[in-house]
Amino acid sequence: MRTIWAPIILIVLFATPMIQLVFASETPGEYVNRAQEIWNLFFRMMTIAFVVGGVIAGTIVWQVWRFRESNPKAKPTPYEDKGDL
Amino acid sequence: MGHSNWPEWIYVAVVIALLVYVGAEAWNIENLIDHAPEDAEIIKVTAQQWFWSFEHADGTKEIGELHLKKDHAYKFEIHSKDVNHNFNIPEFLVLMDAVPGRINTVWFSPNESGEFDIQCREYCGLIHYNMRAKLFVEGS
Repeated sequence: MRTIWAPIILIVLFATPMIQLVFASETPGEYVNRAQEIWNLFFRMMTIAFVVGGVIAGTIVWQVWRFRESNPKAKPTPYEDKGDL
Repeated sequence: MGHSNWPEWIYVAVVIALLVYVGAEAWNIENLIDHAPEDAEIIKVTAQQWFWSFEHADGTKEIGELHLKKDHAYKFEIHSKDVNHNFNIPEFLVLMDAVPGRINTVWFSPNESGEFDIQCREYCGLIHYNMRAKLFVEGS
């Protein structure tokens, strides 16, 4: 496992910032509306965050509803069947 | 275990895809707004307790106020004379630390004319709350 993580950690810590630094200093940028770009990125990230949050919350609600004891479809676990619990 | 686990693999793939997308988008935008255009005018910004001073490329100096032209690109070279400060123009989402012994850069192009606030956004001592300057953007 250690052999997999070592290069990943090295890349994240050193190679990536280095590439960014080199390209940042050499490539001239174009006129961009900074506020617009940043807010758009923020809204895209928020959309993803809320979709993921919704799916997770929905799954939890569904599980609680589906696997409650009083659900007509609920089947006892093998342990409950044998009277161990 | 004898059961099918394809939903788990789909879940893992979706999570990885989302993480990659989020990372790539953030990287892309960061690079896009990081690179100053070639014709950007360099302005030296000096932060000290508790005021801002500016030096234009032609040597003109301003204290407590900054005059810029609309739709021109400006690259700020920011440094501090004493403690950590933070150069912030909220209206244009410009935000960069001013650190003693180091020059940080940030660029922007004002796209509307008017009068805007410049403020310090890193607690820097007693009068931090009033470490402000005025930005005047004049029509092109």
